[in-house]
This record gives sequence, C-alpha cells and structure tokens, in this order.
Amino acid sequence: MASNDSKFALFLGCVIPNRYPFIERATRAVFEKFKIELVDMKGASCCPAPGVFRGFDIETWLVVGARNITIAEELGLDIALMCNGCYGSLLEVNHTLKEDKEKRRKVNEHLAKIGREFKGTIEIRHVVDIMYHDIGPEKIRNRTKYGRKTPLNLNLAVHYGCHLTKPAKLRPWDMECENPTFFDELVEISGCKSLNYKDKFMCCGAGGGVRGAFKELSLDYTREKLENMTAAKADVIITGCPFCHLQFDLGQVEVNNIFKDKISAPFNIPVLYFTQLIGLAIGMTPEEMGLIKSPELKGVPPFTPMKPVLTKIGDSA
Amino acid sequence: MVTKVKNLAELNGREPPKIGVYICWCGVNIGGVVDVPKLCDYARTLPYVVLASEYKFMCSDIGQGMIMEDIKDGKINRVVVASCSPRMHEETFRRACEEGGLNKFLFEQANIREHCTWVTMNDVPGATEIAKDHIRMAVAKVSELKPLEVTTVKVEPSTLVVGAGIAGINAALDLANSGYKVYLVDKSPTVGGHMAQLDKTFPTMDCSSCITTPKMSEIARNPNIELMTYSEVVSLDGYVGNFQVKIVKYPHYIDQDTCTGCGHCVDTCPVVCGNEFDLGMKPRKAIYLSFPQAVPGQYTIDMNHCIRCGICKEVCPTKSVRYNDKPEYVDIKVGTIILATGYDPYDARRMKQYGFGRIKNVINALQMERLLSSYGPTGGKVRRPSDQKEPKKLVWVQCVGSREFTGKGRKYCSRVCCMYATKQARSYKEKHPDAQIFIFYIDLRAFGKGYEEFYNDTAKNYGIKFIRGRVAELLEAENGNVIVRAEDTTLQRPLELEVDMVVLSVGLEPREDIDDIARIFNVTATKTEDGFLMEAHPKLRPVDTLTEGIFVAGNVVGPKDIPDTVAQAKAAASSASTLMARGEVEIVPYYSIVLSHKCAGCKSCISLCPFNAITFNEIENVAEINDILCKGCGTCVAGCPSKAIIQNHFGDAQILPMIETAIPKKPEKEEVEVE
Amino acid sequence: MENIKPEKITYVSDDLTRLLRDAGYLELCACIQCGTCTGSCPSGRRTASRTRSLMKKVQLGLKEEILSDKELWFCSTCYTCLERCPRGVPVTDVIISLRNLAVKEGYMQEPHIALCKMFYNTGHGVPINEEKWKKLREYHKLNELPPTTHQYPEAEKEIQTLLKSTEFDKLTGVGDYEKKKGEEES
Repeated sequence: MASNDSKFALFLGCVIPNRYPFIERATRAVFEKFKIELVDMKGASCCPAPGVFRGFDIETWLVVGARNITIAEELGLDIALMCNGCYGSLLEVNHTLKEDKEKRRKVNEHLAKIGREFKGTIEIRHVVDIMYHDIGPEKIRNRTKYGRKTPLNLNLAVHYGCHLTKPAKLRPWDMECENPTFFDELVEISGCKSLNYKDKFMCCGAGGGVRGAFKELSLDYTREKLENMTAAKADVIITGCPFCHLQFDLGQVEVNNIFKDKISAPFNIPVLYFTQLIGLAIGMTPEEMGLIKSPELKGVPPFTPMKPVLTKIGDSA
Repeated sequence: MVTKVKNLAELNGREPPKIGVYICWCGVNIGGVVDVPKLCDYARTLPYVVLASEYKFMCSDIGQGMIMEDIKDGKINRVVVASCSPRMHEETFRRACEEGGLNKFLFEQANIREHCTWVTMNDVPGATEIAKDHIRMAVAKVSELKPLEVTTVKVEPSTLVVGAGIAGINAALDLANSGYKVYLVDKSPTVGGHMAQLDKTFPTMDCSSCITTPKMSEIARNPNIELMTYSEVVSLDGYVGNFQVKIVKYPHYIDQDTCTGCGHCVDTCPVVCGNEFDLGMKPRKAIYLSFPQAVPGQYTIDMNHCIRCGICKEVCPTKSVRYNDKPEYVDIKVGTIILATGYDPYDARRMKQYGFGRIKNVINALQMERLLSSYGPTGGKVRRPSDQKEPKKLVWVQCVGSREFTGKGRKYCSRVCCMYATKQARSYKEKHPDAQIFIFYIDLRAFGKGYEEFYNDTAKNYGIKFIRGRVAELLEAENGNVIVRAEDTTLQRPLELEVDMVVLSVGLEPREDIDDIARIFNVTATKTEDGFLMEAHPKLRPVDTLTEGIFVAGNVVGPKDIPDTVAQAKAAASSASTLMARGEVEIVPYYSIVLSHKCAGCKSCISLCPFNAITFNEIENVAEINDILCKGCGTCVAGCPSKAIIQNHFGDAQILPMIETAIPKKPEKEEVEVE
Repeated sequence: MENIKPEKITYVSDDLTRLLRDAGYLELCACIQCGTCTGSCPSGRRTASRTRSLMKKVQLGLKEEILSDKELWFCSTCYTCLERCPRGVPVTDVIISLRNLAVKEGYMQEPHIALCKMFYNTGHGVPINEEKWKKLREYHKLNELPPTTHQYPEAEKEIQTLLKSTEFDKLTGVGDYEKKKGEEES
C-alpha cells in the first residue's frame, strides 16, 4: 500500500479513453463527489491486454505492464483502474514481479534501457473494489438520500466479467467467484433491483483475443447472455469493464445483424457502466454521466438506446 | 591401525564392548544400491566391533538365528543391525537379542534403507558413504548403551469405547461378550451413529435399520456395558492399563430412570425446530427422541430451543421432567480405550459451483438416505424440497469434496460414494421404474466384495445411466429444476441436462472435533495430512495408535465402508482384549531420572512436561518423575537449568558420541590409546 | 476415400510436458481427465474445442497438433476451468503458455498481427485512429487526446524500445521487421 486512501493514480487503458470516454467522464465525476482524487498517469500505454499480448509473449507483457506500474510508483500512488482486462494484467504483473525475484531482475534489465525500474511499492485496485471496500455501501447509500427524490427502480442485469473475480486467489473477494454478490449489492444502492439470470457469471465473449480473431464465436457468447438477460426481463445491463461494455453495446448491434436468423427479436437493452448508474442515484445529471448522445457524431457509442433510462429519469425528475 | 577410545563401561571396569554388526540386504532394497560386503569390511574397522556379517533378510528366522548364535557363543555382547527403520523391526531384533541371552537394550538399529538407499538410490558412492555414517553412529551409540529393565504394570480389565456408531457398538459387544467391562460413550442422545440414518446397505440391499437396531438394543441389555449417551470425555490421565477418564454427562432434563418414553410431552410441546437426525428436513419438538428406535428410548429436552413453558412437566405421567438438571461428572478407570468417533459428511457448501444451500433441489446423499428411509421425513416417499414434487429425473454427482487437491475438498477418495450412489439410485428405481437416473462419475470404484457385480447388476437391470465426467456446475432453473453441466468425456461432448433433483455424493471428512479428540487422548502426533487419526503402522498395526493402550476403529482413521469398519472394530476389540487377557504390560524404560543431589527445586520441568509425569516432593524439595507416565520425550532434560535430569537410552552419554563420530574432527589429547 | 482417415497416435513425446514443467505446471502431469474444464468452458459449448482433450494432448506431447490448431485461440480466458479444476491445474495459464509456443512457431491469427502493429506504433491495442474518437472525447469534456502514449510521443518511443528489447517486434513481425518484409515484397 503506497498511498493515502483518497488519492489514486488513474490508469485508463485503451478502450475507455479511445472508444468509451464517457466511462472516464462518469467515473471521474462520481469519485470527485466522494472526495477521491484521481491523478493522471502521463504516458501510460496499453496494460498490455492479458488475453492477446500475454498470449503472444509473456515476457513482453510483464515488461510493458511493469513500465505502466513504474509510472504510478513515481507518483507514490496505488493504481485505480476501470477495466477488468487492465485489472487482470496489472494485478498479475505486479504480483508476479513482487514475488519472483528472477523475473523481476530480467524485467528491470529491459526497463533500464528506458531509465525505469520496477520497485514493487504500490497496489492495483479496481474501481468496483475501491467503491465497495474504501468508500463502502453505507457512504454511497447516505449520498443517495440527497440525490434523487424517487428511486431509479430499474431491473438490472449485472455482468461481473471474468477478470474482476478470477483467478480468485489475488482478488479481494474472499475467494468467491462462483456466486459473488458484491457487485449486485453495490448497484442495488441505486434503488434498482439486480436480477438473477441464467449464466450470470459467464464470460461476455470478448476476451482472450477471441473478439479480435473469431468475432462470430465471441458474439455467440454475447447472444446467449443477451437471451438470458432478456428472459429475466432486464431493463438495463450493468458492466464494470469497458471491453465487456463494448461487447454488450456495439456487440448488441452486431448480434442483431449476424444472428438475425437465430434470435427471435432484435435486442435493444441499454448498457450502463456502473459508475454512471451510481452517479444518477446520487443526483448527478444524465449529461454529467455521459448518457446524452452527441447529435452530430455518427458511429460512436453508445450504440444501445439510452432513452429507456432517460425516460425513467424524466418520470421522476 | 585404528585409534580406539575407551568407553564409559570399560572405564567403569565392566566388560568391554564386543560389538557384532549385521548388515541386511533387504533383497534389492539395500543390496541393490550399496555394496554390502564392502560395508561389512568397513564395519570391522570400527572401535569394539568384533565381527560383521551380512544376510539377504536379517529379519528372517535365519537372520535372527545368526545374532542369537553369536551371542550364545559369547562372541558378542552388543548388537548393531543395519537395515530398515526401527519402527519396522526394532522389536524383532530386540527379541532375538533377548532370546540369545542379551539384555535387549544393548541393541541399536542403523536405518540404511529409509534414511539411505531409498532416498539416494541413484547415487551409489554417495549412498555407500551415508550407510557408513549410519553404521559408525550406531556403533558409537551401542558402545555406550546400558542394560535396562522393563517395568510391568497391571492392566485394568475394562475398556472405554468412544463413539457408539456401528464401529463402537461392535467393539463394545465383542469385549463385553468376552467378559470385560465396557463403558460406551456417545455425544448424541442415541447410539447408532450414521448407520442408523441409512436406508439400505450395499451391495446386499439389506435394510440398514434391520441390521443395526438389534445391535443397538443388545448394547442396552448387555450387563457388561455401561452406556453413557449424551456424554463426552473431558480429560484423560494415566497410561496403558491404568487410564483415568473424566466424563461429562449432559443433562437430559428428563429423569432417564423414570421416563417411560410414552410421548405425551412431545404432543403438547409448542416449540418446533429442525431434527438433526433427519438433517433438518423434518421438524421436531424441543422435547424429543432422535428417532423412534432410538436407544435409550428416553426423552431429552433441547434447552437451546426450550421456552420453559412448563407444559411437559404438567403432562408427564411419571413426573420425570427436571428443568434444573445439571451436567454430571463421572470418573472411571479403564485399562484400554477404543476411539470410534466416526466422520462428518463433507460440507458441500464449500464446492460453490454446486450451489448446495442455495439451489433448493440440490441435496446431499445423507439427506437422500433419510428421504428414502421408511421412517424418514417423508415416510420413504422421496419428494424434492422446493415443491414436494416427486422427482422423475435425477442426477447423482460423484466426488463432491473428494479427490480435490485445491483445498476446497479432500485429496483422498472417500471409498463409499460410488457404491452408495449406485445403491440409492437403484433403490429409487425399484420404487419408480419410470424415473430417469444419471450418475456422473470420474472413475467408478467398485473394489469391495460383491461391488463390481453390484454395479453390473444395477446398470443392467435398472437402466441407470452412468456418465463419465465430473459435473462442472449446477444452475437453478425458474421452475426449480436443476441444470447440470458436464462433459461426457467418453464422447468428448459437453452435456447439459435439466433434471428435477440433484444428489451430491459427498465424501467423508474427519469430524469437526477431531483435534479435540486427538488432544484429549494424546494422539495429536498421529494426525496425518488427511486430517484423520493415524494408525501406528498402516499395514501391520492398523488399529493401534502410537499411544499404547489406545486403539482406533472405523472412520476415525479414514473413510471406509461398513464391512471394513466392522472388521476394524472387531480387530480393535481383539487387540484391547489381548492386552487385558495378559493382565500386565511392559513399559519401555526410556523414562528420565532426576538426580536429586543436583536438583535445585526450581520446578521449571513440571510445567514443561506434556505428560504430567513430574511432581514435586515438598519435603525433599526436589522434582520426581513417574517412570510409567514419563514417555521419555526429553523435554525436561533439555529444559533443566541445573542439568539434573538424565534420560535412559537417549542420554548425553549415548547421543554425544554419535554426534562426535558423525562429524569428522581431529583427534584430541584426552583420547586414550588402546592396543 | 474421405471416409478413411487413420487417426492413430504413433508418436508420443515429453517435449511439451518438459517445456511446461519449467513454467511450473507439474499439476498437469497428474490431470485425471475428469472433464470439469470442458464442462465449464463457454467456448466449448459452441465449438469443437475440448479443453480436457487439449490437456491430454499436452501430456502426450502432441506439439504440432496443438500449436497448429486454431482452436487454441478459442479460449476467452474466463478462468472458470482453472478455478474449478480439482487438481489445481492452472488450465488457462497452460493455454496462455501454449499460445506463446504457437507464436514462436509462427502460428498467429491475422487480426492479432494487426493488433500488434497498433500496439507497436501507438502504445495502444485500441488506439485513436479516426477523428471521430477525438471529437467524442471533446464532446464528453475531455482533452481530444488522453494523457497516455497518445499525448506523449516520448512514451511511445519507450514502448518501442521495450518491444525491441524483448524482440517482440521480431516475434510478431512489427516495426522494423514489418518494414523489412515490405521492402522484400516490393
């Protein structure tokens, strides 16, 4: 543990800054409300992605991951990140290099060429973890009192994503990865109901380089999950990872397209990143939470309709 | 020319040592790795060694005969055998020494098998060097050993049997029928253990109650058996032949002598809670009898639930209700003890992917036994918990908590689950021929007498489908059905079945209180990796513990089926009666002795002794060691600040020469030249 | 003739077991082929990929067969099999290591090579490669470029130095090796 509890180095990754910037916007705004300062990690890169780059060359993955960590080490801050993939990579890299002296020596040989050194002084934290363990449900619940007059009252299909809970041994969820409930608890503070649906803890299909190389296979996972979410009558899909988010958002359009003969009706479920929902619950505006689409820009997210959510807001506003 | 050092015996004017060294080939175990004849040559060069011989199997009649001959011929007066571990054959060779006419404590065994050739088998020169070291050390020690006399103590002709399941019942009956007094103690209010909960038994399909309940009533009737249910052993003192046991009898709050078991109280008791015997699937009252055939047949009040409304007291025709009953402590003296405390079924909640406790229609196999039982919660009509519907399609999941190396379960195979699942499935099919049943297994283990035939018959005649694949996960469907996911590994295809109910074939675990049992009975050291108590030798002393006079039987040692459990119970009873029939037992004289002239009376040894063997003589102001209670652990010897305690057989006089000869060093001036 | 396909295993080696043992996968040698991994695999439910069979092939050292099969890339690294394996085989990690070996042997999916190029050139696997992404950021009141390698060209250079240092550029044919290949072809 390097830093004080109310300040973190914010690691952005790739998908959030370069495709889903409203996740960054909403998260920054919500964290500010809870007086947690997020400091930029200047010059950070791809984590690198645990499925693809780790799959190509573990050593490179360790070296580039270590470089990212050194940026936060220089700031003397623990890393906060918003992506399950980045979590999987940096958590694993950080742990490996803290434990394995030989690997650390090798990695530092490479890093020396750019004048850096992995020291092993910081921790890696997912924003779900920070929200649940540091801020805590109680504090968030208290804030909702000053937020909305009426509860949001949506039926949520929470998608945990894989690397938030697995492998279980390095993660802060008491080895629970078969049937965790912390994410449901967190989002239910908003006044919404978190649904049980079949294969709730199944993968979205995007990871491991599958989306990149075998899109149809990857989207077949998503189709199945969307069918189960629909069967449970979900109003909104909640994610804690931009890649899962992309898979459900852009993926929904793609599923409707390539599986049109296989599905009974096109899917049309709004997808929210969990901080967007928490933000709404504590009284922040849909605009601040990035729910309002740009009227000019075409071919940018969100691809799923925000209107059902906005209507709810309108109802209770 | 070898430098020889005069030893203490010689300095004290006794006969100088004449050591015979015997090196065993142990077939190829030792002989296949090291050059035994060369080791003999080496041994002959060691101080006081007068002869060195070798033989294929020293433990055989011929091998032992060689030692006896040499002693009788007066060639030797001390013996070293370099062979296996003393745990294996120390007694064998000591007996040979004794029969040859030598004090059996003038023997030392060098372990050149377990400590040498088995672990260094690929390094012949290295192994030979290690073997030499062991032999040299043994010779150094044996030169300094003193003859010791064994002590004998009387053995009380009575046995404490802890646990009144099928193991405890059988052991108790065998001993009682041989004429010994037996105290049979069980924690629960009734005898019978897990077997009383079972419906049928494999592979014979005979009713479990029909073979258990007669034994249970026999226990109650046998005049030699004092039955103490709802009781627990609190502490144990003493030693083999003379154990003092303190037992607490928990209050039943019902006078057990006057209660007639009429049941009026139960009808009127207003408190309803879950019945342990039916694993919570059936309610019981706060005043209860575990099950109709329970022995003893008197009632008990569960004070954790009783609201003291007083109704039972009013209605009891014999005025037997005693709300102010207190626990009663009883002291007994026994010669031997048999531990038969059994097992706990594996807690399936730990295998989270199976949703036990979360998915309503996922039950464990012991619950299934109760559902199948004619005196179970549903009178033998199996109903699924969510809606009391009769299940038409069922799955048994094998290896739940067994063969699991990740810490969520147990590494071992629980040995009974393959057969009990087959039995339960068959039982269900007998009553519901239309039902569809699947058993998912990793390996089907049918190793007992009649088991493979039982599987064959069941698969052939009952249409049960056996699928090779460990179930990956269970999901709950909207209608309460359970979705089973697995791979049929023989077809190499993933499989998804929706069924009405799933039975988890849970493995057997050490009892939750196994550590307390181990601590109270001082068998802590025998706890092995699997968590069960360890037998003294896995093959040759399967029902003994390392604490003499304490025996084990049944699942307290490890998972086993009923035939094996009963066999062990009878073996334990037989071992206990062997001790008692002889009437006295030899105590190994490894005890420590206080040199009273050196003892400063600081008492630090008293608190160090794990066996409560040291007392303080207030008059002489010195510590005294009870040579029978003392196990010779040496803690006090090491701890005594005045060096006033010495230990037989493992004293400085014996150990220091071993260390000195183990570590090569330059000759010192004090050494005395002989020859 | 297409019905006649002998699939006999005629050669078994310790190659893979040895390679993986060095990476700490001794558990795999004690795999009991229970099928929990396949049964847990969301990919196997919709493809012919069989995790258990893959583990068996590793035990038998059927290296060529494993590394050349594109099914090796069907795993979405959800880690369910790893969590459930009763023998503690780090299944997902074994697959990752096998992928490393496959890449070394030159088996790589085309889209993955494209990903490596982006990574080398920008420091991001998913970079800002169109104007609209900048505009979207500005619309959400963020700087048009994030404070990552995108904003800091020297950081981009650092990444390239590291990728050269670990020879990732050579392994995946990016950077100088992409140029070389381009020159050869032209």
